[in-house]
Amino acid sequence: MKKILRLRGAVALTLMLALFAGLFVDIPDAQAEYGDVVINNYSDKAGMRPAVFPHWFHRMRFRCKVCHADLGFKFKAGGNDINMVKIIDGQFCGACHNGDIAWSVENCNLCHSGKPGTPTQVHESTIQKLAQPAAAPKK
Amino acid sequence: MNKLYALALMTALTAPTVHAQQSGKDVYTKVCATCHSTGLAGAPRYGNGGDWAPRAQAGTAKLYQSALAGTPKGMPAKGGNTSLADAEVKGAVDYMLAAVKDALKAAKPEPEAKKAESKKEEPKKEEPKKAEAKKDEPKAASAAAPVAAPAALPVTEAAAAGAAAAASAPGDVNSFNRLLKPVGKRNLPPPEDGIHDPANDGTHALQPPLAAYGGLPKSNAGNRINWVEALNQKKINPRYDRTDPRAEPVVMDLNIVREVKGSMPDVVYPHKQHTEWLDCSNCHPAIFVPQKGANAISMAAILLGEKCGVCHGKVAFPVSECRNCHSKKKDLPVKAATAETAAK
Repeated sequence: MKKILRLRGAVALTLMLALFAGLFVDIPDAQAEYGDVVINNYSDKAGMRPAVFPHWFHRMRFRCKVCHADLGFKFKAGGNDINMVKIIDGQFCGACHNGDIAWSVENCNLCHSGKPGTPTQVHESTIQKLAQPAAAPKK
Repeated sequence: MNKLYALALMTALTAPTVHAQQSGKDVYTKVCATCHSTGLAGAPRYGNGGDWAPRAQAGTAKLYQSALAGTPKGMPAKGGNTSLADAEVKGAVDYMLAAVKDALKAAKPEPEAKKAESKKEEPKKEEPKKAEAKKDEPKAASAAAPVAAPAALPVTEAAAAGAAAAASAPGDVNSFNRLLKPVGKRNLPPPEDGIHDPANDGTHALQPPLAAYGGLPKSNAGNRINWVEALNQKKINPRYDRTDPRAEPVVMDLNIVREVKGSMPDVVYPHKQHTEWLDCSNCHPAIFVPQKGANAISMAAILLGEKCGVCHGKVAFPVSECRNCHSKKKDLPVKAATAETAAK
């Protein structure tokens, strides 16, 4: 109890400092899982939430090679020109997300689950910590 | 007669759960979700307070009427399924309203929630006992933003504090300018992770990472799982082929040593661990020319996402784990000898 009271001043000061620092430092506030990829090539414009690809979930089931060599996913967030027509046609995500190997495309909201306006990125990547993505919204 | 009474009671209480026929949730899933999950044709989206707020202002009765009779904006009568009973349609409306209940309570969910949170911090430190009583109100408001399900009403103080810490970084003394994430902020479930939209019903259906990580070997960076070790110990068995679960990787066991400048230990690049996951064509020849000495690699390039940085720092362990790569100690006696000759 006393400890809490003693901490009060420090808390207030830190809060003020944090707010003050917030004016100058653009800290990315998102904290998703390391390696989650947000793909927002077309989603925002189409009125959908951006798609979020969880790397961790997929790498527990498939080795990198399956998607990055066999299916032709390039090692670049947003660098694959993926759209729903291709997916339904069995390309990219559609190679597995066809109701056969994995659930199919009618579960829109399982992929299109990102916060609207989130720019394309590899989440928590080193480059993201070093430099804010160009399309990042200004706070 | 009994049935009629039940129906009347149900409508009066707007409780979707006691359906004699299909529950509101069932109707929503089968009929309404087609448009109301994605917002097709301008439909208010499930769990999206912003979509529902202007419509809910007119009152629930008006919403029922729109759902039953349809609207010129595009809502078909009874969602296009006229075989539904009126009560079922109303139940579905109630179900959808329940998902945005919290958001509707707070007129402006976003700023309100933030204000409530910062307020919550201070009274807690000053007078923790009084604050407890007050806490329920701001909690409801702050819950409006992240959660669609009205689950967490009687939360303990500890849980509430944890949630507040997770939600607002500046409120936590130790989080200020802290580069390493504290335990409570690692591997958060999708609705709290910052990039998933908590207002999206699909977000809540996704598996939280920690639910899958149990028993996997740990590491100090990335998502804190040592994936190579997990594979070694056969804790996971990811497929090497899309369809064939028995396909075996073509593993090449060849270490490449790269001598580096300065006192940093030399880099040992193990083909083995890489070929267990990847195909040769993933790296060669586009990223690395398959010839010793032909690749200029620098930490700067890696940090910027080139060379090793194509994966390391994105999905594979990041550069903070220096010694994972820089693992071959230089021969110190040679160095000492050169120092001696220099002294002479």
